[in-house]
Amino acid sequence: MSSLPQGESLERLQCQWCQSMNVTGATACRACGAPLDVRNLVSESGWREAPRIRDMTEIHFSSSTCQVEGEVVPVAEINLGQGDAIFFEHHVMLWKDERVPVSLLPMSGGIARALSGMPFLISVANGPGRIAFSRDATGELVLLPLHPGMELDVREHAFLLCSHQINYSFVRVKGLTNILFGGQGMYMDRFVTTNTPGMLILHGYGNVFERRLAAGESIMVEPGAFLYKDSTVSMDVEFQRLGSGLFGGATMSLAKMTGPGRVGIQSMYVHHKTE
Amino acid sequence: MFCTHCGARVSEGANFCVGCGAKVAASPISPPAPPPLPQTVPPPPVPPPARVASNPVAPPPATTSSKCVWCGAVTSGADASCPRCGAALRVDRVVTESGWAELPGRKDMAKLHFGNSSCQIEGVYVPVADVNLAAGEGVYFTHHVLLWKDPQVNVTAMSLAGAWKRMFAGMPLIMTQAVGPGHIAFSKDDPGELITVPLQPGQTLDVREHLFLAATSNVEYDWFQTNIWFTTQKGNETETHYPLGGFMDRFSASRTPGLLMLHAAGNVFVRELGAGQTILVKPTALVFKDPGVQMHLHFERPGTVFSGWGSWGNRYIWLRLVGPGRVAVQSVFDRIEGEARNISNFSYATEQVW
Repeated sequence: MSSLPQGESLERLQCQWCQSMNVTGATACRACGAPLDVRNLVSESGWREAPRIRDMTEIHFSSSTCQVEGEVVPVAEINLGQGDAIFFEHHVMLWKDERVPVSLLPMSGGIARALSGMPFLISVANGPGRIAFSRDATGELVLLPLHPGMELDVREHAFLLCSHQINYSFVRVKGLTNILFGGQGMYMDRFVTTNTPGMLILHGYGNVFERRLAAGESIMVEPGAFLYKDSTVSMDVEFQRLGSGLFGGATMSLAKMTGPGRVGIQSMYVHHKTE
Repeated sequence: MFCTHCGARVSEGANFCVGCGAKVAASPISPPAPPPLPQTVPPPPVPPPARVASNPVAPPPATTSSKCVWCGAVTSGADASCPRCGAALRVDRVVTESGWAELPGRKDMAKLHFGNSSCQIEGVYVPVADVNLAAGEGVYFTHHVLLWKDPQVNVTAMSLAGAWKRMFAGMPLIMTQAVGPGHIAFSKDDPGELITVPLQPGQTLDVREHLFLAATSNVEYDWFQTNIWFTTQKGNETETHYPLGGFMDRFSASRTPGLLMLHAAGNVFVRELGAGQTILVKPTALVFKDPGVQMHLHFERPGTVFSGWGSWGNRYIWLRLVGPGRVAVQSVFDRIEGEARNISNFSYATEQVW
């Protein structure tokens, strides 16, 4: 890289979504699939659209690859390398090679958390072989390569898969249990990287937007729209009473997200089937 | 050059964008500060009065002006999007051979202006209306479409006389309003299209219920009974169905121009009906109509099969729209409740027996 010609900046090669470095001439980031030849779409209010990954883009993590196929309800097709494994929820599995073994991730507390009345379980698939994932509604895949030291909180059931280098756990969100319509639910998945980088793939309903909040900066978000956040971002619920007694007094609840860190939201927030 | 739809780089002379598949505009448009374009199209003689002041200070040295195919605003040649409704400019309108026009394409992040405020439309599957309210200016909306807002933007309930008659999905309809300064953003829960309708003083639009997203506070909101219904009989039980909903929303601008934003599921198609011209549409597919368009039920059934009112397996229920005026439909719609049951009574309807 030291042989770069005068005036040629490394910045050109850096993916602005995941900060990975890419070879000159690449049109999509090798690590997250973000197009490198397209302007970032950032609103004046500061939300950046999640990169629209081109159909059939291939990304690399560990010794595996992932191809993103389709655009309306995109599929993440993983070609697992030998020794690689991924975690996922069973309801997002679309198809797989027969030879790919699938087992359960031993976890504590899974019984307390149920998915559509079934016990909540995280499955593990081991390479080599192919396995593909998709979710039940129009939306976008959000590819988040996690670097060591990163800690990300994700809305429950929104994660499609993560690579085995990432520690998976979940946290109970207090104060959100009373929300009925489009509510955030009781749990958030927490992904923590160990010493090696890993890959986390989410699916957001509709379009996905990300914003980086400065320390102390706040934004009010519809709880159903919350998709992910850095664990440094705090989330508190604020209730606002709307209408008078005539309406029976509906209450609007908003999540107050306070920085520092990233916040991701989805633009369609009624959940189908999974909630 | 760049795609006016998604911003992807497309090679010169390409017809379609490799990024999003949208048709590439004939004239090259490069979004970051385009230089004055070479005059490829002779400027049509444009009547000046309707011009919208997009940039009253120092208008760019436009070589050509264009008229927005959606709202009719005349804009300077340097604009890629209509400053009044956000539609992409200098693109051919896509009209089917049957006469339905697709909503004009919109560049992601397109910005439009109203009063001293502005709005950016973000995303393509479930677009977000990100409104930047100027001090003292306001918008109103139904409370379930709020996506996010700045903490300082205050949201309050609007008083609507008689609103208790209307229920939204079992919940009372609460119209809420927000007043600037600050950002507030709205989106709905279906993949579809965000429709921006700039309303000129005196203009009125009738919108099927639940499609409203937000409107500027100078837009007057009213509703009326659709009076389109039928009853079904099962044993001794009679049930009344409103295929269009019991009420329809009516939005109008009285003295000052306003902005109305709707969200429809799937794709939206618009056509203009001449006086007395008719079209049959699925009632649940109707998005909006001009007030001049009359509507009533229309039944269609085969005459070869005996089917009295009691056994209508092969029957279709339509909404018959009679011009003059614009009508719009959406491509995703619900089935009509009660369609396959025994119809015992109905509002005014026409019938076709084949």
